[in-house]
Amino acid sequence: MLKYIGLRLAQSIFVLFGLSILIFFIARVMPGDPARQALGLLATQEQVERVREQMHLNDPFPVQYYYWLRSLLHGDLGISSYTHRAVTTDLAQYIPATLELILFATLISLIVGQVTGVLAGYFRNSWFDGASRLVSYLGIATPSFVVAILLLFIFSQLLKMAPGVGRIPIMMQPPPVRTGFMTIDGLLAGRPDVTLTALKHLILPAISLAVIHIAQEGRITRTSIVENMQKDYITVHQVHGIKTRRLVFKYLLKPSIIPTVTVMGLDFSFLMSNAFLVEIVYMWPGFSRYAVTAMLNKDLNAIVAVVLVIGLTFALVNLLVDIVITFLDPATRIRRKGG
Amino acid sequence: MKAERRADLLATLAQRRRALAKGWYKFSRNPLSVLGLVVLTIVVLAAILAPFITPYPEHARPYTNFKAASLPPSAAHFFGTDRIGRDIFSRVIFGYRFSLMIGAVVLGLSVPLGVVLGLIAGYRNGSLIEVVIMRITDIFLAVPPLVLALAITAMLTPNLTNQMMAIAMVFWPWYTRLVFAVASSLRNEFFVRDAELTGASRAHILFREILPNCFAPIMTKMTLDMGIVILLGASLSFIGLGVQPPKPGLGTMVAEGAKRLPGEWWSTIFPALAIVIVILAFNLVGDGIRDVFAVEEV
Amino acid sequence: MTPLTDSTLLSIDDLHVGFRVFEGFLDVLNGVSLELGEGERVGLVGETGCGKTTTVKSILRVLPTPPARITGGRILYRGKDILRLSRRAMRHLRRVELTAIFQDPLTSLNPVFTIGTQLRDVVRDSLAGSGTKLTHREVEARCVKALAETGMADPERIMGSYPIQLSGGMRQRVCIAEALSTTAQLLLADEPTTNLDVTIQDQILRKLDELVDEKNVTVLIITHSLGVVMDLTQRLYIMYAGTMVEEGKTQEVFAKPLHPYSQGLMQSVPRLTGEGVSEGIPGRIPNYLDPPSGCRFHPRCEHAMPVCEEHKPPMLEAGIDRRVACFLYGGE
Repeated sequence: MLKYIGLRLAQSIFVLFGLSILIFFIARVMPGDPARQALGLLATQEQVERVREQMHLNDPFPVQYYYWLRSLLHGDLGISSYTHRAVTTDLAQYIPATLELILFATLISLIVGQVTGVLAGYFRNSWFDGASRLVSYLGIATPSFVVAILLLFIFSQLLKMAPGVGRIPIMMQPPPVRTGFMTIDGLLAGRPDVTLTALKHLILPAISLAVIHIAQEGRITRTSIVENMQKDYITVHQVHGIKTRRLVFKYLLKPSIIPTVTVMGLDFSFLMSNAFLVEIVYMWPGFSRYAVTAMLNKDLNAIVAVVLVIGLTFALVNLLVDIVITFLDPATRIRRKGG
Repeated sequence: MKAERRADLLATLAQRRRALAKGWYKFSRNPLSVLGLVVLTIVVLAAILAPFITPYPEHARPYTNFKAASLPPSAAHFFGTDRIGRDIFSRVIFGYRFSLMIGAVVLGLSVPLGVVLGLIAGYRNGSLIEVVIMRITDIFLAVPPLVLALAITAMLTPNLTNQMMAIAMVFWPWYTRLVFAVASSLRNEFFVRDAELTGASRAHILFREILPNCFAPIMTKMTLDMGIVILLGASLSFIGLGVQPPKPGLGTMVAEGAKRLPGEWWSTIFPALAIVIVILAFNLVGDGIRDVFAVEEV
Repeated sequence: MTPLTDSTLLSIDDLHVGFRVFEGFLDVLNGVSLELGEGERVGLVGETGCGKTTTVKSILRVLPTPPARITGGRILYRGKDILRLSRRAMRHLRRVELTAIFQDPLTSLNPVFTIGTQLRDVVRDSLAGSGTKLTHREVEARCVKALAETGMADPERIMGSYPIQLSGGMRQRVCIAEALSTTAQLLLADEPTTNLDVTIQDQILRKLDELVDEKNVTVLIITHSLGVVMDLTQRLYIMYAGTMVEEGKTQEVFAKPLHPYSQGLMQSVPRLTGEGVSEGIPGRIPNYLDPPSGCRFHPRCEHAMPVCEEHKPPMLEAGIDRRVACFLYGGE
């Protein structure tokens, strides 16, 4: 088992290397002068040239990559040409906001999505199943920025039921940053009002993110449940007398969520990319908005860093999902133990 | 001799017709799939005939008319007008042109590339070329498609062509992976070995023996992917890296209109709904196609 | 036909079941009737595709009813028509009175749980259905005993294993152990040994025989193998293309098969006495989309008469405890 994890980690590192080369290549080869970008239009040509030397921009590509890699391994991701700070500082500031949002969204999608999926599958062809199928079709077809705009429009602007954009109201004093999670920092600073408000502000964006996952993963669970309900072993269990409740929540559920968990790994990447869109709509000061800003401003260091962070996160999440599957599915476990 | 060949041909045609009829039967079992097909047909026809059926086709080109700006939906303007006076309904129909074109071009480029690479990698499973192809595929798939497409478009000048190139670059690996799985599992089947033994050319084996077996998943995936490509395109346009104003890209219109909420809700809601409708239609049709290819048990 | 014992446990009365498919309507079960008395061991023999499994699934009411449709008939269990029972009542019936073993032991066991987990739950829940509550130790002991009874050497190890880790024979033994550790009175065994190695089939059958005897369970064995029914059953039904064609005491049917199809079947079995392999019955099983009119066997029957094509032969008495559905024996 450990061998398997080791192997996967090695694979991921290799892939991330390749990714870094790819994105670095694209960044450096594309038109535009990063040095000029960093200094602005008012800088003189000499200044630009000097900075170009500093950034090794006149060196051959492999050399540039080497310098960049070296800094990376020292924990230095360069300076953002937009914020003029170390990229690592920027990341440290913005990642927790996005993380908080993503975790909240995942929680919502798990609870709502899985419960609906199980019920829809079990009561197949009932009105509930039909209704949830309709909703899930819509959910899958709606881009998350549309969901975000619609939710904002309906609940915040029309019905005034939810707060507007941002993590906390503009007027509110933010608590000192400890974890970066507004909800936790509020509690840590003894200010539950912050936590409460932060939660309220989290709802709409988190739902916007969660919708497509509820739709997709819920459907997979539903299909899985329907399929498994027809399997021989369910009939056999029924005939052998196992109680219905135990049958459903144990014997039907466990094999049915395996395909869903498998998909969750892949879906996580969509979660991360949809965060880009949702954060723009809700003006969420997060990593994704930072990424989009970097891209719009050709902030090369930031772009490369962002892509790598996402790649790394995705790889780790996939690994995590794989480990969970190994626990759930004995066939996979046995295969991986080599036994 | 000729009579034989004619008989053969007729038999094959009859077989194909029957397969089509059966396919349609399976497809039409699900009323939603049929609905999707109807909506899709309407959208495609509307997009093709856009200059002729829209009330104000000139509004899709640079146009301003401040006297008619920001009008709510009415009989003259079904979807209202935007802040510089352009009819949103006409622009939405023209916007469909972009969406469909993006889908067609992206898939037209990435599917053949991805499939061919997948076939080669699957057939030569275990060889160096397979390792190279699949590792490159892994690299491209290490990041969500939107992010990579964004990064690439961001480096280039944001416009429609570059957007399509970027999305295509991000899309082919999915097909490679799909076809690789099928091809590598079929690699050792009898019919492939037979073909090798009788001296069939590599191309024949790949395209006439292995590829037909991948047909079903590829078709299904392609239909569903149209929806995804349109979604990606709309997202890129929304961020500002896709179809540039004043061109009527659907995502672009949503972004422009979003600033006008809640007052002029029509300038963002209608383009948004248009996006949802076309993606939904593709999804429903894709489901239907999946049903057509599903193996049924009695 | 009167069963050999006094009380009728199960009685299928003129059951018609079909399936709706693209090409039309598969008219599979065309008036199936059978009776099981309490404590009897009855066999249901027929080729693959003759509708045996459909019959079993109809009794258990586990046919997927979109494609399948029960178009007529009754199934009486202890006198009550189970086709009319509510879903809940049917669930209860399945739990308490019925049990089954299916053909494929791999799909009959839940792959993601250990044998022990499944067996313990079966023991606990089925006994709870009849009001008995057991402690953990008692449950465990019963499970181990049930496994040991089926002839398994190391029951504790099996309890901790996953289905995928066991051989086919072991899995089937587990299924048998599960089936017989319930309170059920009626066991439906659908091709219990068909998927197993030839070398194991015999062992498993003997075990099944022993256990059924001990627990005094009524058994309906469905199989296409004559060898199986010969050893295990007292009475026999022969089925062809969705109809019952013959019934009687097993030994008598073997000794003197009456229906032309039964005769053909008996002859098809290769004999060890070296008379050579027979050719089998010419023709093929009918297409259920357009089954033959009248007696479904008539296209393949060398004794076919004009009436056979027009009317479906009813089950006629042909001796004591013997019936045949064939116009050769009267009934015009």
